[in-house]
This record gives sequence, structure tokens and C-alpha cells, in this order.
Amino acid sequence: MGRRIGLVCGFLVLIFTFFAWRLIYLQVAQHDYFSLKAAEKHETQIPIQAKRGRILDRNGEELAVNIPVQTVYADGTHIHDPAAVAAVAAPFLEMSVEELTEKLTTKREYVVIHKGVSEENARAMIRAMEDHKLHGLYLQEGSVRSYPNGEMLCDVLGYVGPNGHGADGIEKTCDASLMGQDGFRRIEHDRKGLEIVVYRGQEQLPENGSDIRLSIDMGLQAIAEHEVDEAYKMNHPASATAILADPNTGEILALASRPNYDPNKFNKAKPEDMRNRAISDIYEPGSVFKVVVTSAAYNEGIVDDKTRIFCENGHFSYGGKVIKDHHGSGDLSIPEILMKSSNIGAAKISLRMKDQMFYDYVRKYGFGTRTGIPLPGEIPGQVIPPHRWDMLTKTRMAFGQSISVTPIQMVMAMSAIANGGKLLKPKLVLSKGEGSAELEEAPVAQVVKRESANYVANALEKVVSTQGTAPLARIEGYRVAGKTGTAQKISPHGGYLPGRYIVSFAGFFPVNHPKIMGIVIVDDAKLGESANYGGSVAGPVFSKIGGKVARYLDMEPEPTDAVTQSGEKTTISAR
Amino acid sequence: MRANRRRPSNSIEVNFLARWLVVVLLLGLGGIFFVYLKNQQHAVGDQTRVVEAALREVEAKNEALAAKITSMTSRGALQRRLDDGYLHLEAIRDTAIARVTPAVPAEPDGVLRTASREPASRLGPDAPQRVINR
Repeated sequence: MGRRIGLVCGFLVLIFTFFAWRLIYLQVAQHDYFSLKAAEKHETQIPIQAKRGRILDRNGEELAVNIPVQTVYADGTHIHDPAAVAAVAAPFLEMSVEELTEKLTTKREYVVIHKGVSEENARAMIRAMEDHKLHGLYLQEGSVRSYPNGEMLCDVLGYVGPNGHGADGIEKTCDASLMGQDGFRRIEHDRKGLEIVVYRGQEQLPENGSDIRLSIDMGLQAIAEHEVDEAYKMNHPASATAILADPNTGEILALASRPNYDPNKFNKAKPEDMRNRAISDIYEPGSVFKVVVTSAAYNEGIVDDKTRIFCENGHFSYGGKVIKDHHGSGDLSIPEILMKSSNIGAAKISLRMKDQMFYDYVRKYGFGTRTGIPLPGEIPGQVIPPHRWDMLTKTRMAFGQSISVTPIQMVMAMSAIANGGKLLKPKLVLSKGEGSAELEEAPVAQVVKRESANYVANALEKVVSTQGTAPLARIEGYRVAGKTGTAQKISPHGGYLPGRYIVSFAGFFPVNHPKIMGIVIVDDAKLGESANYGGSVAGPVFSKIGGKVARYLDMEPEPTDAVTQSGEKTTISAR
Repeated sequence: MRANRRRPSNSIEVNFLARWLVVVLLLGLGGIFFVYLKNQQHAVGDQTRVVEAALREVEAKNEALAAKITSMTSRGALQRRLDDGYLHLEAIRDTAIARVTPAVPAEPDGVLRTASREPASRLGPDAPQRVINR
């Protein structure tokens, strides 16, 4: 009897020893492993999305905002009757019941059913599901980028790609500031998937993206857009571009071009419409470039107020080729060369300069170098170095051939004439983040002396006189200085395309204290050869833009130096 | 010899028993109170979750509506409505404008400035200049 009892006891001791050992093994030796398993089952880290910063114009007008949307996803393990769920949910998801049923017939835990569902529809769907006591469809918060002004300013704003990152424009260059930093929260959930708030763990709040305030003024932008649009519809060019800037600070105030696209529907846009022509198109500037050679020569003392250059009555043979003027002239002063846009005069000025000196001035004006505007895709243009010049290159460059520039380079170069000779870096972003200090840009270089810049600026005022090439670019009540450009289009096969021109007008006003610098470029307008000039196509657009801009900014009308038919200057009061 | 007529019995130590009963009762009550508090915590947690979800919903709705307002009142949208004829611009009669300073007509187009400033020459050299750098 005692032996039996001993055996039973021994057996029990063995069993309990085994259980105790197993318990210690599971609880102690395997503690980390099973803790992790438990955590995987019940704990999860949910991301808290940072809101992308808005893009605002200089006056706080919203240019890019976020619209909250929901991604609807299904947990197949919670769906017992896919057809019933589909019948309730399909109307809210703009899907057919059959299509949704097919998607819901799954045992996977995470199946994205529909992205970008509006907040309203998503909540209504969840309520309908609850009313029918159905489970399995859940919401995931997100947002889509919206551009309230549609196509307006698309080249500057760019757009956000499907991955949530900026894909073009300011959205791309300022992506890091706009994105912010996502936060997270560690939670435990019950078997229904609901959070157990009591066991809420570590939490890091998201850092929302900074708002970006641009230098763009939407009032001016609307004016530029309207006039560029009118010119585009009227002249049917390949493209039309207008840029407005503050010549004293380098701030870009408006940038409009056609054709353009709607960044809200970027996936439907043609690639050629999405190119920012202001920074990624190069063109031969034509006569606008004469301001470079004249200001450089004046700055070096090669020409002065008394200089008169014989312009060969319109035909100048040099290096085996003939340089022609539109209207033949004899002796012309420097302002007259600009006023009449004499190619021969500009070429002869360039011949008085040493090659390297002329080249250095071209580079000092910023040609052949990216301006550094904070937009993706800027190109530096093309400037041929002196060692590759032939006999004609310098004379051609003097009137804007054999050199390729971007519109933004031309704006900054002309701004240097307007502001007393300082080349500025174009400024597009005023500040990043609420309350942050305005970003300062230092001048890139003093290209020419103030006197030289003023001399050329005053000479350019004559261009819009009745004797100049752009009387149609005048703005009533304001003194305007500017220069026309008419350049033949380069053929991809070499040489020039006959009868096809890129015409432009670059100018600023008021002349004494320039506030606005503008350029209008019309590429290949479908007009007769006799009508396709910078002064007749781009000039009027500049004038219309300038008139409206002056009224919008409430610029005080000023006394106008008008050049009479006889060429004498008279001062008239604008009031 | 006198025999002990009391039947042998084990006495109950009431004090001892009462002490332990109180201890057990207190422990029991403590446990029940702990469970009650824990349940309350969970109930409050559930309410917190519901309120947070409602807040998120309201915030999202607010953002969606704000975006809709922005889009409907944007420059582009207003311009489209103007072009389509849904909106019309009405010129404000000169007599309906209260002017702080006299109007300056911009000759020769004769346009009257809607918001005018005294020319600097009339105010004198020390007058502050308005910066139009907007």
C-alpha cells in the first residue's frame, strides 16, 4: 500500500515538476519571444500624417491647399457576406456592386478598395454599414492637393505626384519644407481592432509642413494671364510668355505662359504644355540684347554721349557677310542706335570692344549661367566662349544672334539696367513658415556703374517714342523704357527658319523710379512677315499689362518725357 | 474523583476570525473597487476614442469645406464666372466714393484714380513716401 502511494506521489511530483519547468521556460526563458508575439498581435504603431504646408501669394491668397479624403480598405477576414457589404457600400464609392463584390471576396486583411473618397461619402458609407450591422470596410485618412486657381500660375506651383511628394515647380523645390514630419502613436487594440485607449503608448505629434509665401502677387498674375491669353488666342503662336518682376529686389511678381495645364489634372496634360518656358526654353533674344553691348561699351568709356557711329545706310559688309538694318541710317548716337534698333550700330560698337571684354560683360549680366530661381529645370542658356568665335560671332551677338538665353535671364539683365547696374538673383519665395523672417537675397554682382545703367535706361525711353520701334508699348501717364527684339527662329537642321520669328519686348516703368520690370515673348506668331515684330506684337501686350498693373498698384501718374516727331524732347504733365 | 462534565470542544477565537474576516473583506472590496475603476477607465477610454473620432471628422469636414470655399472664391473661379456671365462688374460712380485725399486724374486718358495719394511735390520734401513694393 505504502509503495503504491509512493509511486503515485512520485508520478505527481514528476508531472508538477514538468509543468513548473515548462512554466519557467515559457515565462522566463522565452519571455522576450512571447512578449513580442503578444505585442505583434495587440500592439500597433499608427502613423499620424503631417499636413502639407500651403502655398500662398505675397498677400496671403491661397494657391495650393489640401482637401481631406479617405482611402477605403477592406479586411477580408471581417467580411462574411461580400455581396451584402457591396450592395450597401457601392453607391458611395462610385463602383458597381459586381465590381465591389469581386474585390471584397478575399481573405486578405488589407485590400485597398478606393482612394480619394470624399470625406462626406466615406462617413456616409460607414454610417450605412453600421445601420446594416455590417463590418469589413474601414477608412484611412489622407489628403489630396488642390490648386484653387486651376491653370493660373501652374508653371510656378507645379504639382504633387501620386507618392505625395512635389513633382514640379515650387512643390518640388520646397518639398522638404512643405512635407513636414509624420508623427506616430503606439496603441493596443482589442480583437475587434478597436483601440484600447487605456493602454495608449508612446506618442509623437506630427510636425506639419511650413506654409510657403511666394513673391507672386495674384492680382498682377491675373492681369498677366489675361493678356497673355488674349495674345495667344489672337496671334496663334507656338507659345507666349510674360514675366513681371520688381527690378529693385528681384522679386518675381507674375509669370504666365501659354500653352499651360491644370495642375489638378496633371496626368491629363501634354508634356510639352508642362514645360516652364520662362526658365527652360532658350531663344535668341534679338535686338533686346543691344542693351548689353551699349551699356558695356559706355561703362568702359568706349562710347560716350558724343559718340556717333556711321550706320552705313543700312548695308554693312563685314567678314564676307552683310549686316542689314530695317531702316538705313547715317550717323547715329548711342540712344538713336537703341531707338532705331540698328544692327549695324550695335555690331560696330562690339567691334570697338576686345573679345574677352565683351564676353566678360555678357557673362556678368548672367547669360550662360543659371539665375538660381528656385524652380526645377532651369537651364543656363548658351554663350559661345571667345576662343570658338569666328570673325562674325561678336557682331552677331551684339544684336542678339549666336547666343541663346532664357526669358528669366533677360528679365534679370534688364532689371540691372533699371536698378542702377545690380544683377540680382530672382526671388520667388518670400518666407517659409508662419512668422518666419523674409528670405534675403544679396545682389549677384554690380555689372555696370550706376551712370552707365541710367544712360542706357534713358536711351531706352526713346524706344517707345513715335520714332522708336515700339510706340505701341507706351503706357499712358507713365514713362516707359524698353527694347524690342525680333529674332528668326533657329532651324533644327541649321540656319534659320524663313518667316518664323520669336518677338519680344522687355521694359520697365516708371523710368525714374522703376517699380515694374516686364518681358513679353511671343514665339512664332501666325502673322505675316511684315507684321511680326517685337514692337507690333509683344509691345502692345506689354502696354496693356503695364496699364492695368499701374492701376492695380495705384501708381501715381508722372510727368512724361515725350519725344516729338521732330525728335525734340518736351516735358508734359501726366495730370 | 469529580469527572469533568463539560463535553470537550474547540473554542472559536472570535477576535482572530473577525480580524481575518475584515482583512479579507477589505481585500475583496479593494479588488472590486480596482475592477470598478478599471472598467470606468475603459469606459472613459471608449468615450475618448469616440470623441476623438468625432473631432477628427469635424476637423476633416471643416477642412473640406474651407477648401471648397477657397476653390469657389478663387481668382480663377471668379474670372470664369465673370466670363460666363454669372457675375458682372459694376463701375462705382465717382459720387459714391468717399475720398480721403483729392482724386488725381491720369491724363490724357482721363481715368480718375480710385485710391489716390497727394503727389510728393505738394506734400513737401519731408513727407513720407508710400512704398509701392507690394
